[in-house]
Amino acid sequence: MSYRLGVDVGGTFTDFLLYNEKTGALRLTKTPSTPSDQSVGVLTGIHKIATQAGIDPNEIALILHGTTVATNAVLEGKGAKVGLLTTKGFEQTLHVARGQTPGPLAGWIIMQKPDPLAPLALTRGLSARMSARGEVMAPLDEREVRAFITELHGHGIEALTVSLLNAFASGAHEKRVKAIAMEMYPDLPVTVSTDILPEFREYERTLTTVMNSYVRPKMRVYLNGMQQKLKDARLKGTMHIVRSDGGVMSLAAAAESPVNTLLSGPSGGAVASAYVGELTGFKNVLSFDMGGTSTDVAISFGGAPNIQRDTRVGYYPVKAPSVDVRTVGAGGGSIAHVPLTGALRVGPQSCGAEPGPACYGAGGTEPSVTDASVVLGYLPPRLLGGEMPLKADLAMAAVQKVADALGLPLKQAAEGIYDIVNENMFGALRLVSVQKGYDPRQFALVALGGAGPLHANALSILSGSWPSIIPTTPGVLSALGFLHSDIRNEFSRTVIRTMDQMDRKAVKEDLEALGKEATTWLASETIAAGNRRIRYQMDLRYHRQGYEFPIDVELGWLDKADGFDRVVERFKDVHQQNYGFNIEHLIEVVNLRAVAVGIVPKVELEKKKRTTPAKPRPSERHTVYYRGKTVDAPIYDRYALQAGDRISGAAVITQNDSTTLILPGHVGVVDDYLNILIWPASDPRARGKSTATGTSRTKASARRASGRK
Amino acid sequence: MAKNNVAPKRRAATKASADRRTSPRPAPRARAKAGAVDKITLDIVENALRNARHEMDTVLFRSAMSPVIREQHDGFPMIATPDGRMVVGQFGSYIAGFIKDWPRGIHEGDVFLMSDPYKCKGAISHINDWMVLLPIFYNRQLVGWGSQFGHTIDIGGPVSGSLPTDATTIYGEGTRIPPVKLFAKGQLNEDVLDLILNNSRMPTMNYFDLMAIVAACRTAEKRVVEICERFGTAVYLDACEALLDRTHRAMSALIQRNLPEKKVSFEDYVDDDGRGNGPYKMKLTMWRVADHAHFDWTGTDPQAPGPINFFLNEEMFKMFIGVYLIMVFDPQILFNDGFYPLLHITMPDGSLVQPRFPAALGCRTHALTRLFDVLGGALGHGAPEFSTAAGYGTSPYLLFNGTQENGEFFHLMEISFGGIPGRPFGDGMDAHSWWPLFENIPSEYLESYYPITIEEYGSLMDSGGAGFFRGGNGVHKVYRFEADGEIAIHDDRERSHPWGILSGLPGQSSTKLLVRATGEQVSLPSKISQVKVKKGDRLIYRTAGGGGWKDPLDRPADKVQKDVLGKLVSAEKARSDYGVVLDAKTCAVDESATAALRDKMRAARGAQGTFTFGPVPEAIGVMKSV
Repeated sequence: MSYRLGVDVGGTFTDFLLYNEKTGALRLTKTPSTPSDQSVGVLTGIHKIATQAGIDPNEIALILHGTTVATNAVLEGKGAKVGLLTTKGFEQTLHVARGQTPGPLAGWIIMQKPDPLAPLALTRGLSARMSARGEVMAPLDEREVRAFITELHGHGIEALTVSLLNAFASGAHEKRVKAIAMEMYPDLPVTVSTDILPEFREYERTLTTVMNSYVRPKMRVYLNGMQQKLKDARLKGTMHIVRSDGGVMSLAAAAESPVNTLLSGPSGGAVASAYVGELTGFKNVLSFDMGGTSTDVAISFGGAPNIQRDTRVGYYPVKAPSVDVRTVGAGGGSIAHVPLTGALRVGPQSCGAEPGPACYGAGGTEPSVTDASVVLGYLPPRLLGGEMPLKADLAMAAVQKVADALGLPLKQAAEGIYDIVNENMFGALRLVSVQKGYDPRQFALVALGGAGPLHANALSILSGSWPSIIPTTPGVLSALGFLHSDIRNEFSRTVIRTMDQMDRKAVKEDLEALGKEATTWLASETIAAGNRRIRYQMDLRYHRQGYEFPIDVELGWLDKADGFDRVVERFKDVHQQNYGFNIEHLIEVVNLRAVAVGIVPKVELEKKKRTTPAKPRPSERHTVYYRGKTVDAPIYDRYALQAGDRISGAAVITQNDSTTLILPGHVGVVDDYLNILIWPASDPRARGKSTATGTSRTKASARRASGRK
Repeated sequence: MAKNNVAPKRRAATKASADRRTSPRPAPRARAKAGAVDKITLDIVENALRNARHEMDTVLFRSAMSPVIREQHDGFPMIATPDGRMVVGQFGSYIAGFIKDWPRGIHEGDVFLMSDPYKCKGAISHINDWMVLLPIFYNRQLVGWGSQFGHTIDIGGPVSGSLPTDATTIYGEGTRIPPVKLFAKGQLNEDVLDLILNNSRMPTMNYFDLMAIVAACRTAEKRVVEICERFGTAVYLDACEALLDRTHRAMSALIQRNLPEKKVSFEDYVDDDGRGNGPYKMKLTMWRVADHAHFDWTGTDPQAPGPINFFLNEEMFKMFIGVYLIMVFDPQILFNDGFYPLLHITMPDGSLVQPRFPAALGCRTHALTRLFDVLGGALGHGAPEFSTAAGYGTSPYLLFNGTQENGEFFHLMEISFGGIPGRPFGDGMDAHSWWPLFENIPSEYLESYYPITIEEYGSLMDSGGAGFFRGGNGVHKVYRFEADGEIAIHDDRERSHPWGILSGLPGQSSTKLLVRATGEQVSLPSKISQVKVKKGDRLIYRTAGGGGWKDPLDRPADKVQKDVLGKLVSAEKARSDYGVVLDAKTCAVDESATAALRDKMRAARGAQGTFTFGPVPEAIGVMKSV
C-alpha cells in the first residue's frame, strides 16, 4: 500500500498520475472520459494504470479525484429541481439578484440572464423574521413551514434549500426548519444557508446555498455509484474528492457540500504549479493553464495557491472558498478576426474541439492561435508522438484572411495573433498580481496545459516573471496537484462589530469554538491528531467599507494586551498593499474563521542523474519566424533531455502532450527533476548551471526577492 | 457611524515621487495620422489602456467607503491624452478646457479637484460628483491625464445628501468646489481639504472616498508610465492618436450606414421639476450630411425653476451617441473621443439641457436618463426591430437621515432600479439597473448599519409593459423606519409612462406611499425632500416598469404561464394584455380559449403605430403657459 493516484476528469480525457511513495517515481496514463457516468472511465483507468505499473490496484492507498460533475451540472443547466424556503417579502432575492447589468453603457441590451436555480414557482416565503442582530422579530410558524414543505414536495422537488434573511446573525429558525423537513421527508436533501455560508449579504448566501442543493442530488448519485464500483472491484484504497480551494475531503463530505467542488479541476493546476515552483526553488509563482478555448491563471505564495472566497461559475457569483483562478477567453483555438474598426482581435470566440484549428484539417477554416503558431514554425508540422499531423497549408490559408484584412504580410499577421493572445493572457495575470499589489517580476511563471509551454517564454517577457518553468508533464499537471492536496475545510461566523467594542478574550473564545468544530471535522475525516492543523482568520475592514480582507491571526496574540494591535498592523499592511493608503479610522471585524487542515504526506519526486556527459542534440533542423526575421530553431526531443542540459533559443522542444518554444536570446536549463527553466540568456541566474547540482538553485532562490512579507 | 461627524485624523496618501521644480513641457500637438506605432503594438497599447481603466474601477470600488460608490458603483474613470482628449473612459473630458483656463501652472505631483458643473462645462453635472484630474508625467514630460469622479454622499447645504428637490439655484444645493490643487507637487493641501470637509455632514466618508478616487487616478498614472517605459513615449503618444483615429474611421462608416439623411425627431417628457412645474419636453432631431451627423435639441422646453436641469456636456453626449452605434459592431473597441469631429450638436441656450448659471442642477438624473429614451427612440425610427422600448427612466433615490437613540447621526442614500425595457434579445430584466455595473445594497447590509427594516424587496407584479418580450417589472420595496428622521425621494415616470415599441405596451408608472405608524396613508410625489418620518412609519417605494417589445398577443402562452406561476404577472393581466386564458386552480393554459380571445383582441384593436405612449402628463405650474 505505497501508491497514491491523482485522477483528473477532463472533457475529453481522464488523466491518471500514479505516485510511488517509496521511490518518488511518477507514471501517467489517460483514458477517454465517460461524461454520462464519469466513474466508469475512472475505474477503467485505475485498472489500466495498475496493469501498466505491474501492481495490484489494492496497493493504491489513496485516490485523489478531481471531478467536474457539479460544474457540468451548473454549466449545462442540468441540476436538480430545487425548492426554496426564504423570508416572506424576499421571494425574488435570486430573481432580482444584485440588479446588475453588464458594461459598457447599453450593455443591458444584449444581457443574457439565466433563471434562478430555484424557480420562483417553487419558492415560498416564511413569516418568521430575525433582525440583523439575531433577535426574533416574528417567531417561526411551524404549521406554515409544514404546509409549504408538503406543497413543494408535491411539486416534485429533488432538493430543498432554506435561506432566511439575517440567518448569518442567528441560524435558529433555519435549523428548526431543517429538522422539520428531515422529519417529514428523510430522503429529501436539505441544505440550509448557515451550514454552507453563515456570512452576510442575502443574495450571495442564498445563491451559494441553492447552488449546493442544485448539484447535490447529482453528486450524491455519482459518489454512491463510485463507492459501489470501488467496492465491487474490491479496492481497499480511500478515495478523496478535490475541493475548489485545492484541499480534499471525503466522499461523504463532498456529498453534503458539493458546492465546494465547483473549481475542483482548476484548483489542481494551481496547487501543482505552487508545488513545481517549490520544487524548483521558486516559492512565489504565477501560473497559466492554456487550453483550447480558455486560459486559467493563478498566483501562489510560499508553495500554496492564493485562496479567495468568491468565484464565478457561468453567470453565478458563488461564495465558496476557491483557489483564486481567473479565466480569460484566450486559448489555442481562439479565433482571430478584424472588425469594422480595423483592429486585430483574438477571441473570445473559439473554434472549439470541433472542427478545431484549420491546421487539424477537420474542416476548420477560421484562423486560430494554433494556426498562427504553425505559420510561424512554433509548432513543427511533424510533432513527436503527435497523433495529429498539422497541415501548414491550411493554417496559412486561414491566417491569410486576417493578413489581407490588416494589409500585412502573412507572417507579420501571424505574429500579431501570437502577440495579441499573449497580451490577453498577460491581462489575466495582472488581475491576480498587480491588481492585488504584487509585482509579477518577483514571481516565476509556471506553464500548464497543452498550449502553455508554447507561450511561456513570450509571456515571461511581458510580465518580467523569470524563469518560465516548463514542468515535465504540462498537460496533466492538475493530477499532480491532487497528489499534493491536504484535507481541508472552513468554519466561520459573521460578527460585524467594530474592534473597539470587542473583547479580546471573547474573540479568542469564539475562535477556539470554531477551532473545536474544525478539530471535530478533521477527526470525522479520520485524520490522526498529529496531522491536524488549525489556522485562524479574522476578516477585517475599515468600518463601513464593503469588502474585507482575511487576516491570519495566532490565538496566542489574543492573550496579550496588544493582541488586537498586532491584528490591526497586519490588516494595515494588506490594505496598503492592495489600495495604497491607510487611515486612522475604526476597524470592523466581519467574520471569524477556523481553517481545518489535515496534512497529507508530501510528494517527493525522484531526482534524475545524468547518464552521459554529452550535450543535447537536436533531432532535426528547423526555422521559426520571430520579430521580422527567420531564425534557426532546431527541434529537440524532450524525453532525450537530461538534468543540466542547456538549450539556447531559438529552439523547439517536442513531447507527447505539449511543445515548448525557447525564443532567441533565451536559454532553457534542465533541472534535476527534468523541468525546463527558461531565462534571458543574459540573466546571471541562467549561468553556472551547466552541471546538475542543487547549489546554484539555492543561490538563485536566495537572490530572489520575496513577493509577500 | 459614531465617528462620521468628527473630522478625521489623516495619514496622507502622499505620492512617493519627488517634488521636482519643473513645469510640464507643452503637450505635443495632435497629429492627424499616427506614425511611429505599428498595428500590433497599437492593439497591445489599447489592451493595456483597457486593463488600466478597469483597474481604476477596481481600486475605487474596493477602497471607497460610501455605499453609493462602493456597493452601487457610482463613479467613472478616464485616461486622456496630454491635450485632454479621452482615449479610454466613460464621461466627457473637460481637461482641454481646464488646461486653457487654469491660471496657476500644472506640475508633476499636482492633483486637481473640482465639483462645480459650471466650471467644467458640465463634465460633471451636479455638485455631488467630485472629479479629480491627475496630470501624468514620464521623464518630466506630460504624457496624459488620469481622471475619475465619484458621487459623494453629502457636501453640505440645507438638506442632508445635498440634493434638495426644491432648490432654485445652485447656491441652495451645497458646497461647490472650483478647480483647486488638492496636491501641489506631491504635497497634500490640508487647508483646502479641511475647508471642504468642514462643509460636509459626513467628513470621514468623504475623505475616504476622495482618497479612493485619487488612488484610482494614481493607478492610471502607474499604468501609463509603464506603457511609456515599455514602448517609449513617442510610441505611446502615437498609439493614442491612432486609437482616436480608429474610432473616427469606424464611426464615419456607421453614421453613413445607420443614420437617415432625412430629419427625424423624437420627444418624451420629464414629469416635473420638484416645484410643481411640468412636464418638461425633451425633443431631439437627427439627420446626416455625408458622414457628418447632426443632433439638435431645438424644441426642448426651457430650463426649469427647480433642480432637474441637466447641464449637458457636449463631449459626453457625443460619447453616448457613439456607444449606442458602435457596440453592435466591435464591442471590444476602446471607446474614445476620436470621432467627435463627425458629430454636430445643437443645444438651445437656456433650455433644460443647457441651463444658464446659476440654475439648480442637483436632480439632473431624470433628464439624463430621458436623454437615452429620446436618443433610442430617434435612432429607433429607422430600425425599430433592432431598437428597445423605454425603461424606468431615471435613477430613483431614497435618502434617510436622522439621529439614533444613542445620539449617533446617520445618513443613507440608496439608488434604486426598475424595469428594463423589452429588447430584441429578450424580456427586460425585473428590478435591474439600466446604468451598467450598478448593484443594489443588500438588505442585510441596510439592516446591519442603519435603523431600518426592509419588510419586502422584489419586483412589482404587472408593472412591466406587455410585449412579445415584456418590459421588466419595477422595484417594489417596503421600508420600516426604526428611528425618527427625514427622508427624501427622487424619482420620475410618475405621471408619464415608459413607452412600448411595435405593439408592445407601456410600463406602469411609479408610486410612493408613506404609511404612518398611526395607520394614516400619505401619497408622496416623485420628488420631495425633508419629509419627517417617525419610528414605525413605513414607506412603500415602487418604481416604473419597462415598456414591452413587439406584440404581446404573439408571446408564447407557456411563457406567460411561467410568469404567472412566478408571480411576475397576474392571471388577470395574462388575460387582459396577453390574451392568455389560464385555469384558475391549476394555472394550465386553456389553448382554445386563448386562441379565440387573441383573435378577438386582434380584430378589436386598430392599426398599430411604431411606438405606444401612455397619456402625455397634464401641464402644471409654469408649464401651463409654455
